[in-house]
Amino acid sequence: MRGVLHFLIGLTVIFCIECKVKQDAIDGAIVNSKVDRKIDVSTHLVKMSTSITLENTGKSPIKSFLYALEPSLQNYLSIITANVKDKDEKLGVSQTTVASKKDLSFWRIELPSNLEPGKTMTVDVDSSYAHALTPYPAEITQSQKQQVLYNGNVYFFSPYSTKSQTTTVTTTNTAIESYSKSPKPVSQTDRTVTYGPYEQREAFSEAELRVHYENNSPFLTVTNLERIIEVSHWGNIAVEEHISMRHTGALLKGPFSRYDYQRAQDGLSSIKAFKTVLPAAARDVYYRDEIGNISTSNLKEMDDFVELELRPRFPLFGGWKTQYYIGYNVPSYQYLFNKGDNYALKMRFVDHIFDDMVVDQVTVKIILPEGAKNMRLETPYPVTQGENQLHFTYLDTTGRPVIVIHKSNLVEQHIQDFQLHYTFQKLLLLQEPLIVVGAFYLLFLAVIVYVRLDFSITKDEAKESKMRVASLVEEVQSAHDRRSALYQSYDDAINKYKSTKDANTFAATRKKVDADYKSLTQQISDLQTKLKNEGSDLAEKVNELQVSDRQYKDLVALAITLAEKLVSGKINKQQYLDNEKINKTKREDLDSKMEALRSSLA
Amino acid sequence: MLVLSIAAILSFSTRLFSVLRFESVIHEFDPYFNYRTTRYLTEEGFYSFHNWFDDRAWYPLGRIIGGTIYPGLMVTSAVFYHALWFFNITIDIRNVCVFLAPMFSSFTTLVTYWFTKELKDAGAGLVAAAMIAIVPGYISRSVAGSYDNEGIAIFCMLLTYALWIKSVKTGSLFWSCLCALAYFYMVSSWGGYVFLINLIPLHVLALMLTGRFSHRIYVAYSAVYCIGTILSMQISFVGFQPVQSSEHMAALGVFGLCQMHAFIDYVRSKLSVEQFNILFRSIVLMGAVVSLSVAAIGTATGKISPWTGRFYSLLDPSYAKNNIPIIASVSEHQPTTWSSFYFDLQMLTIMFPAGLYFCFNRLTDANIFIIMYGVTSIYFAGVMVRLMLVLAPVMCILSGIGVSSTLNTYMKNLDVSRKDKKTSKKNVDHTYPFKNEVATGVVFLVTAFLITYTFHCTWVTSEAYSSPSIVLSARAGDGGRIIFDDFREAYYWLRHNTPEDAKVMSWWDYGYQITAMANRTILVDNNTWNNTHISRVGQAMASTEDKAYEIMRELDVNYVLVIFGGLTGYSSDDINKFLWMVRIGGSTDRGAHIKEADYYTPQGEFRIDKEGSPTLLNCLMYKMCYYRFGEVYTEGGKPTGYDRVRNAEIGNKNFDLDVLEEAYTTEHWLVRIYKVKDLDNRGA
Repeated sequence: MRGVLHFLIGLTVIFCIECKVKQDAIDGAIVNSKVDRKIDVSTHLVKMSTSITLENTGKSPIKSFLYALEPSLQNYLSIITANVKDKDEKLGVSQTTVASKKDLSFWRIELPSNLEPGKTMTVDVDSSYAHALTPYPAEITQSQKQQVLYNGNVYFFSPYSTKSQTTTVTTTNTAIESYSKSPKPVSQTDRTVTYGPYEQREAFSEAELRVHYENNSPFLTVTNLERIIEVSHWGNIAVEEHISMRHTGALLKGPFSRYDYQRAQDGLSSIKAFKTVLPAAARDVYYRDEIGNISTSNLKEMDDFVELELRPRFPLFGGWKTQYYIGYNVPSYQYLFNKGDNYALKMRFVDHIFDDMVVDQVTVKIILPEGAKNMRLETPYPVTQGENQLHFTYLDTTGRPVIVIHKSNLVEQHIQDFQLHYTFQKLLLLQEPLIVVGAFYLLFLAVIVYVRLDFSITKDEAKESKMRVASLVEEVQSAHDRRSALYQSYDDAINKYKSTKDANTFAATRKKVDADYKSLTQQISDLQTKLKNEGSDLAEKVNELQVSDRQYKDLVALAITLAEKLVSGKINKQQYLDNEKINKTKREDLDSKMEALRSSLA
Repeated sequence: MLVLSIAAILSFSTRLFSVLRFESVIHEFDPYFNYRTTRYLTEEGFYSFHNWFDDRAWYPLGRIIGGTIYPGLMVTSAVFYHALWFFNITIDIRNVCVFLAPMFSSFTTLVTYWFTKELKDAGAGLVAAAMIAIVPGYISRSVAGSYDNEGIAIFCMLLTYALWIKSVKTGSLFWSCLCALAYFYMVSSWGGYVFLINLIPLHVLALMLTGRFSHRIYVAYSAVYCIGTILSMQISFVGFQPVQSSEHMAALGVFGLCQMHAFIDYVRSKLSVEQFNILFRSIVLMGAVVSLSVAAIGTATGKISPWTGRFYSLLDPSYAKNNIPIIASVSEHQPTTWSSFYFDLQMLTIMFPAGLYFCFNRLTDANIFIIMYGVTSIYFAGVMVRLMLVLAPVMCILSGIGVSSTLNTYMKNLDVSRKDKKTSKKNVDHTYPFKNEVATGVVFLVTAFLITYTFHCTWVTSEAYSSPSIVLSARAGDGGRIIFDDFREAYYWLRHNTPEDAKVMSWWDYGYQITAMANRTILVDNNTWNNTHISRVGQAMASTEDKAYEIMRELDVNYVLVIFGGLTGYSSDDINKFLWMVRIGGSTDRGAHIKEADYYTPQGEFRIDKEGSPTLLNCLMYKMCYYRFGEVYTEGGKPTGYDRVRNAEIGNKNFDLDVLEEAYTTEHWLVRIYKVKDLDNRGA
């Protein structure tokens, strides 16, 4: 079912493309009164800039004219643009067909204003062609220089007749092996070959133009580029580019000698390094491939861009390939604009990889935040939009929408901005932090529940009893501590009594302390019974503690009697002091014994 | 608890030196294979992993990966990987692999604590845990990026031991079953499990001989052995070995003995002493005769396989050297030197006997186990460098016990004397003068030991064990760091600029790396299962160009890769390994014409300069390494073609290669790749 649906969608897409291609007819009233063509073949691209002076010899005004591609170049076209001479404004350029010339490729260029009969207008048309140069010989050795062949048309290939025209071909350097020398006039000065001027040529006239020259500029082609733009509304846009590249010049024949390469510095056509220009705000740049980091790169930060000098793991000779990926972060405020919940992302469709770059295939993936909706894409040139995907990464639940765009055959002029409009509810920003908070909350809750609940199937009597004993012992200890404090109160009371000789106060204090003491002792003996019930042998120790305590209490009582006797004058001071000293020693001994017992309980 | 978690975190972070200093890459050779198989497992699923026939290695034989590896490591990381992905944590499988070993070492720290606590007390456990967190002998195999079986195997081993001790102590079936499961995990992850399955029976045997045999041990061993053996047979690489090979026979024998012992105990409880003695003698005699004859018949009929070479070399260190060059050629299989003991263990070598003493002091079932473990492993570590790994944990445990007991003893004295000082000086013990001073001295000494240990460990880790052998670094003249990334340069070149089905011949060390990084078919790799095949490659390297060409045509070789350090001074290159190639090449019938003596000078030296033997100067390996090297100036003041590793000017400078052509040489000449030319056109 899904398959059928896809098929239907595919059909519709094809149908739409078909209906976009317009039909045009050749207007015989137009004449190219003067054509000046400059063909630049100094790099691995063919850059053709044609300045056409149009003349309307008919009766009615003209809105547009046709531009035909040379048959030898029409498969290589990357980009074509047009503007009126000395004006920046770009003219509308669209592909079209002509019924009588089915096998040719035409482009219709809209004029900014109607060309009235009898008037002329000069239009500059720029076009670039990739892979149009053929290495000849196709295989060279390491020390040989690379020579290429340019095949073209001497005449301006036009659906209209041309009155006067010249063509100049600019090569890399003066080492031009050969060039076609007819039709006359043909001349060469330094690195340019000039054909023409030629007068009065018919429409679609052709004559072979052939230049064979030395060209050691890097024939580097990106065979496949995958550009991933990940937008985060937390203020960051991560860009990663996966690049497969290939040296598309003359193939390397025979061995590669590192010795010659290092000593003689030959291998002129090989590519050692190239420069990539990143946006000025790019941070955390990395340069890696599938087996790890590539350590040979240099980063230079300029005022308005970041220059990255990349050296592949190995120099690229003809036919050699490599693959790598680079990535960086840019702050989102430069590229992401919003009004309420409506957002617009404005970024380059492709970015600079190296000068005069050629990209055969590009796939751009834009990953939007989770919850983005109503995506609408605006691109500066036609692209193929693939099916949207979902991307899952940290803390995602429903997945992030991914826009997939394909385009083939791109050059530097394609570095232009696209716009992606979408809506996003700001509240959704909180979703991911809340998930983290919730997860931790659940975790802590689970721990709390686990600690408080008893999951054992059978009760462990011994362990429980142990715990009960421990708590009882603790109680005993605290009760005993308080009791020891009471002994101190006895001492204080006695001393006070000795000095004030106030029997009433003393009796009252004593009564109070006695009551406290009794309750504590009672408490301890209760605890002792409980301990006994638990079957703990600690009960014995508590018992011992109680016995010592009783002895201590007796001693305290003795001390009180002595004090009373002293106060009432029944014994003299010396006698009291002697008795008290013996008593005190005994008390201290008992005290330390009880302390030892107390601490042995734990 | 806090100390323990700090130790665990420390053990993780101390292993990250290499990641910080270089990057998150896999180190060494074997880990690359593990990484490749793990990736296969995560991408293709378990069943196709299990049935995987790898045609990229051992061309033209291929290798059945699923049945010839221990899958524990790969399965573990695949489980981690899938668990993380389930929570949408999109981590790269490479990072899972890189960080698996450090993670497991922090688990090991926890297990060590538990194990030592079972043996002694929590204090000793903490000391042992802190020690194992940073012991270099273990770090060497578990730094981030060293993705090898040993990384998790040590964890499994200690876990099994801890559970074994627990089950011996309690005699409970529950712990025994857990122990068997841990044993299963161990079997699934490392071939070293054989040590374990011999050590546990040895322990049981020792307990029997010392008369400590009890029902607890009977229950524990019977359960562990039965369940463990059945489980271990589920690993296809292990298969029926546990009941057939001699390495496992000890365990089986002890199992039988166990049953008899238990039966005898039962009978003894029913019979009078005289009757029992008669019965006992006759049964022992009969039993001995029967088991001996069964073993003899089994061995004779091939049911019980003889011991493998590695085990012979364990029992007799000189065995490998004399008989199996392939085992001897691995540096890990060399006998350990004394210095490496100190280097890897430092003060543990001193504290180890102290720990042993304390164990003997208070002999229990568990202590007997750790004593046996310590003594056997120190022997094995002495035989093979690699087994230092087995020794390191027990060293830590015993030293932990030693340090902790020493400190306990003297700290007590310290406390006593301090109290004395405060109150009165009455209680000074006259039989033990200077008690406090001695105690202070000892405590200071131990503390100093521990501090130097920490510094030593950190230093060793950062200097010696944290360099991924795949990326080399050197100090430049101006103090900056130069990185030699030549290996990856070469592998990546192979990956992108050779035909998809190209066959690459290299010495077996680099096999795993080539398959993993260059994704090309290779002839031999680090799984040295086919000696004749490796020998054939050795013969090709050691022959003259013509002879080698025949061998290379026969093996269908497209590219030859050699490692050459002469320009940079990288000493473990192929010329230094060359003698092993000669030995291994000459060890089979077809290579009988290759004699080691031919490659030496008449004085018996291995020289590459003019004095060197002509056989050496004209063999393929020499020519591939030094092709056009004779024109290079390497060091100021020295002639061209000066080899910086062997410090000599090469003897054969201007020669051409007839059957090979240089396909690629890396920036620092570390890796040189040659293309084998096709046969000449007829009549050309």
